[in-house]
This record gives sequence, structure tokens and C-alpha cells, in this order.
Amino acid sequence: MQLSMLVFLLAVGLTLIFGLMNILNLAHGAFFTMGAYFGLVVANKTGSFWLALLIGPLLPFGVGFVLQFFVLQPLAQRGRSTHLDLALLTFGLLFATAGAVEYIYGSAFHSIAAPDVLKGRIALLGIEYPLYRLFIIAVGIAIALALVLVIDRTLVGATLRAGVDNREMVTALGININVLFALVFGFGSALAGFAGVVSAPVMSIYSSMGIGIVVTTFVVVVVGGLGNLKGSFYASLIVGMTDTFAQAFLPEAELFAVYALLIVVMSFRPQGLFGAVGRVA
Amino acid sequence: MSTEAASGKNELRPALKLLPIPVSRRARAILLVPLAVGVCALPSFVSAYAVTLAVEVMIAGVFASGINLLTGYTGLVSLGQAMFLGLGGYGIAIGTALLGWPLWVSAPVTLVMVAAIAAAIGAICTRTRGVEFLLITLAFSQMFYGAAIKLRWTNGSDGMTGIPRPDLSLLGVSADSPATFYYYVLAVSALALLLLWRIVNSPFGSILVGIRENERRMMSMGYAVANYKIGSFALAAMVCAVAGILQSQYTYFVSPDSMSWQMSGEGVLMVIIGGANVIFVPFVGAAIFVLVKQALSLITDEYNLFFGIFFMLVVAFFRGGVLGTVTNLIENRR
Repeated sequence: MQLSMLVFLLAVGLTLIFGLMNILNLAHGAFFTMGAYFGLVVANKTGSFWLALLIGPLLPFGVGFVLQFFVLQPLAQRGRSTHLDLALLTFGLLFATAGAVEYIYGSAFHSIAAPDVLKGRIALLGIEYPLYRLFIIAVGIAIALALVLVIDRTLVGATLRAGVDNREMVTALGININVLFALVFGFGSALAGFAGVVSAPVMSIYSSMGIGIVVTTFVVVVVGGLGNLKGSFYASLIVGMTDTFAQAFLPEAELFAVYALLIVVMSFRPQGLFGAVGRVA
Repeated sequence: MSTEAASGKNELRPALKLLPIPVSRRARAILLVPLAVGVCALPSFVSAYAVTLAVEVMIAGVFASGINLLTGYTGLVSLGQAMFLGLGGYGIAIGTALLGWPLWVSAPVTLVMVAAIAAAIGAICTRTRGVEFLLITLAFSQMFYGAAIKLRWTNGSDGMTGIPRPDLSLLGVSADSPATFYYYVLAVSALALLLLWRIVNSPFGSILVGIRENERRMMSMGYAVANYKIGSFALAAMVCAVAGILQSQYTYFVSPDSMSWQMSGEGVLMVIIGGANVIFVPFVGAAIFVLVKQALSLITDEYNLFFGIFFMLVVAFFRGGVLGTVTNLIENRR
């Protein structure tokens, strides 16, 4: 469950960026790393996990905004074969970030201590369950609900959806779509950074932490159907469970159960398990 | 060459040329003959270090050429070609070290196996296109990477050692000497290039380019587009596997790292650096890449950082590739 929710936090950010705005952002893992390390710095300075959780995502937000507004957007507008170029560019950023982090912090493993409130265990249906894991699950669900509300029910959400469907029309209505998209990109990156801080007490922080997880995240987004928030929620449960069960019952298959899942889904339902048929991504 | 283009006979032919700009036969000879002589005589006038670098360049070039067939000609961008590089290496490692077969049996068996595996994988992957193709090839290569790390039989993440170089004692030389190995790699690379040159200039090659340019149109012209894509995928995989075999012979070693997605990314980068559709362009890309990598490793340990930055710069500013940029400069002058 907790892995599912972590992957979900990453996947919603990516769903916003890749699913809705159609930018294949391989650097999503880089934002995960940035968030975790910035959170680590804050936690070390202030000793507060909550501050780290609050401030940690700001760096990925800023970097994501700048990347989209000053690099990806202009490149896309110059009429390049957008998808692949942007994919390759962000692929470079992923490795550059891992390298930069290693340069600054070394290749040691770090961790942020969980706050005292969340350190205990709790009896749930007869099983002792660590409180922090419940916290992760709760955060995941809360963010899922909030996002669905924002995107389906608010003006910002409506503008975003409209911008995705018909860019020129929204621009003609006097909305600066580039800024909006950059904000959404930044927000998606911030969610990845948030996931980084949230994961810090249970998983370790290290320089290439984002490189492995980004592939899993893509599996979730594709399995769930591009641009489908609810789909990626269910898909992250499926992917997380697949991975956990594989680790528990079939350790040999641990590293490829998730990829096998993706291949099966793409062979039979290329639009994703929960994707609407006919949406041309 | 220019007369053919003018008569329109060659329009659908892939723009595969020996040189990036049209030049006369004599100019071509003046350019190419010294190049060929230089390549052949290289080990006799440069240091041993330069010879090993040249070997690395050629191996990377073969790998990039395989990717170029798929990416450059058929228009399918894959981030999983390293799986075939790794399968090539593992193929002969398993054949020679585990099964005890001689090299001249293991190598062809490996290539046939890779072609069969690639055809099966290609049949699944080529049902998708664009971004999804990129992701599904990545997923497949991650699967093989995971398997290679887990499998005890092939020594897991430690990899396998003791991969033999070809036995050239018949010719009275040993492939263990750098210069001899250089000629061996040169011969294999030249063969691979010749094969690719034949492929892309055949009707089959034209169809691949047609698929890249307008798949729907090729379909309505009655071509079994799906089969051609699978064919291109399998051929590209075989060329990558050849590079994998050479690589494992070069280092006497193969490990799961040869299948990592960073490796696939490096291959794609070489193709992008190269750029234009010229037969040896992946080799130019490979040369630039290998040299930059070497230079970087001399000045810094943070390879990932610079690899990433280099990658971003190339994609952002050199999309046409080095040769593409040069060609544009020359053509603008005319």
C-alpha cells in the first residue's frame, strides 16, 4: 500500500504533465530527487519534518516552472518533433541531476527522521501497522481527492482542460496558456518532490533514487490511461501491489513483474486499462 | 548522384549518401581514399592508447548504426536497444563459457537467437508508435536487465568473464594484441556497414523510409507495414548484437550494465550527434561521443552530470546533428 501511494504521488504529477499536457517528461525522477534532497537540507537545518515537507517541494516547483517556460515550451514552439526531443532532453536532465546531486552530496545514503507523532504503531484489524505508513496512504488519498476536485470542479481545472483540448481558442480568450502550463508543470514537479520528502523516512535518499522509480511511474501512467487521474490512482494500486507481491512471493521476478504488467497491458489495451477509447494521445 | 535526383528517379530512395554534400566522383575519391588508407594503417602510426580508442569508437559505431536503421530510417525511436547489445554479449558468453561451444558456433547461434527474440519483441512493440513505442521498448529492456541481474546461471549482477576473442593463429597472429584486434573489429564493422548499406539501398530500405515519412500511405499502397517494421526491428537488433559481441570480446567481460537504459540513451545520443542520413554518420557520432567521454573521465569523476548536460545541449542545439549542421553551412554558402 505505501509503495502504491508513493508511486501514486509521483504518477499524479506525471499524469498532469504527460497525460494532460502531453510532454514526455523523463526528468520526473529528477524532481523526486530534488525534493528529497531539498527536504533533507531543510530538515537538517530546522530539525522539523513538517517544514521539510512544506519547503522541500518548492525547489522542484521552481525548476519545473523554469524548465517548461524557458526550455521545453520554446523548443516545442519551434516545431520540433516535440515528443521525442523533449523526452530525450529530459532524459539528459535526469542523469544530470543524479550527477549533480552526487557531486554535491556524495553517493552516501541519507534519511529524514519521521516526526514523533507518526513514529508509533497502531493495531488495525489485529495487525500492528506502523503509523507512518498509514500517514503516507492518507496523504495519497487526500491529494487524489483534492486533485480530482480541482481539475473537475474549478475554473483553473476547466481552463487547463480547455487549454489541452484547444490551445488557440484558450489563448484567444485572453489566457496566457504558456504561464498556466508552466505552473501546472511546476505543480506536477512539486508533487514529485513532495513524494520524495514523504518517502524519505521509509526509503533512503541517494543520488540515483529518481532514475529507477521514474520507469515504474511511467508504467503507472500508461497502465492507468494517459491523462486519467482516477485511472492512475487504480493503476498505482495495481502496480504497487504487483511489485510488493512479487517481492514477497516470487523474489526472482521482482525486477520484472512490473514491466511484464506494462507489456501485457500495452499488448492488449494500448490506451491503458482505464483510458477512454479513442483519446488520441 | 545529382543527375539521378534531377530526373526524379531517385526521389523515394533513402537519402543515403557517402558524403553529406553532392560532390564529383573525383572529389569523393580524393576525400575517401586517404580516409580509408588512414583507417587501415592507423595502428602503425598512433599510440596503443589511440588504437584502443579507435576500437571503442568502431564498436559504439556499429551499435549506433543498428539504432540508426530503426530510428533514422524507420522512424521508430527506441530506448531499449541496449537489451540487444547485452543479449549479444551474453549470447556468446553463454555459448562459449557455459556450453563450451567454439566461437564460430556461438556467434552465429547468438545472432539467430537475437533475431528470433527481436522478431517476437518487435511484433509486440511495433503495434505502438511514438512515445508508447519508446516506453514499451524501455520496459522490455528493463525486463532483460532485471533478469540478467537475478539469474544465477549467468552470475547475476557480477557478470561473466572469460569471453574469448577469435582464434587467428591460422593467420599467424593473436587477437589478444591490440593491433590485431583492431583489424578484426575493423573487418566486422566494415561488413556490418556494407550489409546496412545494401539494406537501406534495397527496395526494403525504401519501404522503411516510406513508413517513416507516411505510414498510412504505405499501408494503402498495399505494403504489409507491420511486417516491415518487425523486419527493421529484428535487423537493427542483430546489428546491435554484433556490437555487443565485439564489446564483450574487447573487454573479455559482459555484465548487466551493458543492458541498462543509460546505454540505450547513449546509443540514441550518438545517432543524434551524427545527424544526417549518411552511411558512416553513426560512426562520427560514436567518435565524438567516445572522445568526449574519455576527455570527461580525465577531468572529472562526475560522469553522469556531464553526460546529462551534454545530452541536453545536443538535443537542444544540435538536433540536425554535427553533419547536419556542417551540411547546412556548406549549402547556405552555395
